[in-house]
Amino acid sequence: MTKQETNIIAPTLATRRSPLYRRHLQYQAHFKQVGDNIVVDSYPNEGAINDEIEIAKSMGLCDLSTLDRTGFKGVGTPQWLASQSFKVPVLANTAEEQSSQSLLIKLSAQEILVLSDLLFLSEDVKRLYQKAVENHQSYDQQIYNLPRNDSHCWLAVTGINATELFSKLCAVDLRSHKFVQGAVAQTSLAKTNAIIIRHDLNKTPCFYILSDISGAEFLWDCLLDAMSEFHGAPVGLSALQTLASNQ
Amino acid sequence: MKSRLPAPYGRLINRQKPIQFTFENRIIHGFSGDTIASALMADKQYLLSRSFKYHRPRGILTMAGQDANTLVQLPSSPNVLADKQAIEDGMQVTGQNYTGSLIRDWGALLGVFSRFLPVGFYYKAFFKPRGMWEKWAPLIRKKAGLGVIDQSLKPAYHDKQYKFFDVAVIGGGPAGMQAALSAAVGATEVLLVDENPYLGGALNYSRFDSDGLYASGLLQQLLNDIAANPNITVMTDAVCNGWFADNWLPIVKGNRLFKVRVAHTILCTGALEQPALFHNNDLPGVMMSSAAQRLLHLYGVKPGSKAVILTGNNEGYGTALDLQDAGVTIQAIIDLRKNPDYDDIAITAVKKGMRIETGQAVYAAQHQGSMRITSVEVRKLISQGICSDHGEIIACDLLCMSVGYTPAYQLACQAGAQLSYDDASAMFTITNCPDKLHLAGSVNSLWALKDVLSEATNVAHQVTNELGTTDLVLESPIRSSIPSPNHPWPIFAHPEGKEFVDFDEDLTIADIINATGDGYEHIQLVKRYSTCGMGPSQGRHSALAAARIVAAATNRTVADTGVTTARPPFSAEQLGQSAGRSFYPARRSNIHYRHLEAGAQMLQAGAWYRPAFYANKNLSTQDCINHEVANVRSNVGLVDVSTLGGLELRGPDAGEFLNRFYTFGFIKQPVGKARYALLTNEAGVVIDDGVACRFNKNHFYVTATTGGADSVYQSMLKWNAQWQLDVDIANVTSAYCGVNIAGPNARKVLEKVCFDIDLSAQAFPYMGVRCGLVATIPARLLRVGFVGELGYEIHVPQQYGEALWDAILDAGEEYSLKPFGIEAQRILRLEKGHIIVGQDTDAMSNPNEVQMSWAVSRQKPFFIGSRTISELEKQPVSRTLVGFQIDDKSAPIPQESHLVLSENQMVGRVTSCCYSPTLEEVIGLAYVPPEIASEGDSIIIKSTNGVLVAATVTKVPFYDPDAKRQEL
Repeated sequence: MTKQETNIIAPTLATRRSPLYRRHLQYQAHFKQVGDNIVVDSYPNEGAINDEIEIAKSMGLCDLSTLDRTGFKGVGTPQWLASQSFKVPVLANTAEEQSSQSLLIKLSAQEILVLSDLLFLSEDVKRLYQKAVENHQSYDQQIYNLPRNDSHCWLAVTGINATELFSKLCAVDLRSHKFVQGAVAQTSLAKTNAIIIRHDLNKTPCFYILSDISGAEFLWDCLLDAMSEFHGAPVGLSALQTLASNQ
Repeated sequence: MKSRLPAPYGRLINRQKPIQFTFENRIIHGFSGDTIASALMADKQYLLSRSFKYHRPRGILTMAGQDANTLVQLPSSPNVLADKQAIEDGMQVTGQNYTGSLIRDWGALLGVFSRFLPVGFYYKAFFKPRGMWEKWAPLIRKKAGLGVIDQSLKPAYHDKQYKFFDVAVIGGGPAGMQAALSAAVGATEVLLVDENPYLGGALNYSRFDSDGLYASGLLQQLLNDIAANPNITVMTDAVCNGWFADNWLPIVKGNRLFKVRVAHTILCTGALEQPALFHNNDLPGVMMSSAAQRLLHLYGVKPGSKAVILTGNNEGYGTALDLQDAGVTIQAIIDLRKNPDYDDIAITAVKKGMRIETGQAVYAAQHQGSMRITSVEVRKLISQGICSDHGEIIACDLLCMSVGYTPAYQLACQAGAQLSYDDASAMFTITNCPDKLHLAGSVNSLWALKDVLSEATNVAHQVTNELGTTDLVLESPIRSSIPSPNHPWPIFAHPEGKEFVDFDEDLTIADIINATGDGYEHIQLVKRYSTCGMGPSQGRHSALAAARIVAAATNRTVADTGVTTARPPFSAEQLGQSAGRSFYPARRSNIHYRHLEAGAQMLQAGAWYRPAFYANKNLSTQDCINHEVANVRSNVGLVDVSTLGGLELRGPDAGEFLNRFYTFGFIKQPVGKARYALLTNEAGVVIDDGVACRFNKNHFYVTATTGGADSVYQSMLKWNAQWQLDVDIANVTSAYCGVNIAGPNARKVLEKVCFDIDLSAQAFPYMGVRCGLVATIPARLLRVGFVGELGYEIHVPQQYGEALWDAILDAGEEYSLKPFGIEAQRILRLEKGHIIVGQDTDAMSNPNEVQMSWAVSRQKPFFIGSRTISELEKQPVSRTLVGFQIDDKSAPIPQESHLVLSENQMVGRVTSCCYSPTLEEVIGLAYVPPEIASEGDSIIIKSTNGVLVAATVTKVPFYDPDAKRQEL
């Protein structure tokens, strides 16, 4: 399939819009609707989808900011999530993929972040949000939901050269053998606070970045600038989905 | 090109790639791989630069990028090291620091007056009478300039990169190469760094055996082994410019600064050859032995045709053999040693019948009007530094000095190692290296190649054992007993001076002695008084000689005298390399581009971009702002308030927490209501404000100022770490996008997009808060009135901001709703007399001064600053913030911080002032003393250009004093 076959959807059709959608338009992105949200499907200027997959395998940057995510904190949070059939890591700064393929990240003893899966197989995030609304809006059980959907942008840096990119922007050693699958770093990236999560797409290294949403454009530009020497480029969700689904 | 020696000489140059460039507008031919200096030397251009102070002619000294002799000017960059900088086609090179031409430099006349320019001359001559230094300084600085900066140059792109390794080996000579290979047996990640574009160090050019063959074989073997080893990363043309705690190494390569973190560092930085001190030892043609060998072997350039070797060791004989092999006539080897202990190399030279004079010294060099030496005067050594009265003149155009070394101690000393002087070897030695920092090779005073390789292996194995990756039995390294290469006193004072200790700063033996004579006996004071070691080469070639001279002049040992501190950077680096790529995080609301599309002129508030006003090409800036104000007062406007801080406080103790944190009472605050929240610090100073909205019993949503949000959040966390209340605090500033729709038609517009909230004044009164849907977007609505009109702040999840903005603009079209910016908002709030914390307050402002006592609860036991405020209230007020109105509207409008005068004395200052389009008056706020703070009192403001402007103290709010409009 070539990218030209993808339906063209305007990102402004949705009321919820990525802070980066104008950047994507500059790259003449094709968008697609996923549930209520609109995401970048691909960037046609880069060629066929297979080319974009190759970019993603080498060094790609993808905006996932309109995908669902949520967070909770408070003393009762880990126990509550366990009671909701989630596997909660013992150690902080660890991510654990759930059987539903959503990703649960333990940021501290009392703080959890949950990311939806790229293939939209799971309703975990929506389910948790609904449960929190139903059961914890009185805020008397030490479980507090956090608006992670809107407080943080969600980016993915993929490919075998990804760690070279990070080494230009971040002081933490994120090389593959040091920062292994499921590792989490809460650190500074280009002078901006960021949560970095290693979550490979099968054999393709993948690093999720969650950073202050108001600085999303700044960070996006920094990442693109840093990856230019490695011929990295933006990639759409389809490329990531392909990498995530290929066994 | 015929001047080049045939291969294998010139191992760095590619003879198939000729390159042409200019030097002083003369066309020079070279090869790819040449440096500027090597190409110039091949083209018989011996004069490279002029010295800093006396403008003396200077040529190649080290050929290693370690001295200031080769500083030249490129169009884009001054002070370029000609013996490091590779040539490029079309490159335009000139000399620097001359008046007239490089050949005929009028500045050299200063040398005639050198006896009148002793060390400390500037301090003594130009500081009287008072103020004279300012007159002299420009002249002196112009004379002593080092190159010209191209101020129109667009800076090149620089950046930084982090790297991580188990072991870093600094220095890619034989010790470094062997250490890297041995370390790579156990460590998986080894970094090998060398400042040169090639590995091998002295193996590339120095003579290690009588035949001169051993080094090249060993080098090739080491290179092959390194290339085949995947555990070794090689960085050449890279300078490790410092050592910082925990083995943090800044390594400069090209336009990138690598920030390298390693577990262990092995320093194989080698040793720096030192000059001898004699009359005219700085003339072109006088160079280190190693420089001559570099020219031969690396670039295929003969450094001269008739050479004299001044040596204090056997290495000078190796240089003589190298030069003779290359076709240079050896006029004589002048050996400072009376009874040399020859090795095989020296014996070979002797057998070749070279003229050798032992126990003699080069007393002076002559140039006979030329820019290069033409002869040297050799005299017999009588005692330390003392020569016979007469000597022999030997014709030569090259003098090679081989009198000793100083270990490249800089990085080791930065790490805390100790530099000592060993009298027996006449050499500095490094001891007491900290853990995880190791030495190998000549930096550790080893000179025999087998010793160097043995120690490098041993040290590397020690490192891998410490890393836990090997468990090797460490063998004692080999230590051959060979004599030290250092001569203890290659220093020969001359009645006419000009025996340069520091080539960078034109300092002679007498200058150093005079510095001690002026009372500056400590080596650190000698450095600062004389500037010895403060030039570009940072004492690499002057520290040893200076220490010896100071020691002798002050009757101390060299060990007691020591050397000055070696601070990073090791070599000069560009500011761009330190600065790297600049990151200036910028924050934008989800509505940002709508502002731009509407013509907004943006301003920055901290990292945030905010619309100042919306430009209209038919209107002036002030008119644009005034129209925005008028539209809010008479109709309806919309402003982006997303940058306001948003803090979520949830939990059973949320009310109690706010009660302690802010000045007002919050425990009994009704659900569905907002309350003004004033924050003071422990000193009772107003530091922030906002509103606290209670959405349920255990949930408050608190706003903060744009600039104060992060510090308020941090302060909340800090205080609750002490109070341990059952409350969760979350900074949700970025999670919400906010707009304020304000004006008499605000309700009508909002009713078109909000259907699940009763917006009537009765159901949703002033200072009420509600949750509902606005344009189908989940929203928090706050009826607050910063601008003094009926208004609603609407806060929605950030990514819905643009859709909300669009929906409200659409809904407001029939009411001519227009966006307004921060400038209009400032006027609107001033008309209402609302203060802006940080603008109308300062580091001393307490609530009473800013007339905010009404926002301070006296009914509760504690809040931050309560004790101070209660004490302050017992004291008489020294100033108060009042409103004022300018009497004469045509007078220049005062600006923030203009002074309030009383009887020509400063008694206060303006904090805010503007023309009010609503009132058609100039209004403002100012701190004044209480005696002139009553309504109707006259004040004088010193306005722009010192114009005194009369104003009258006026009651605030200036507009709608009964606050009827915001409560509509």
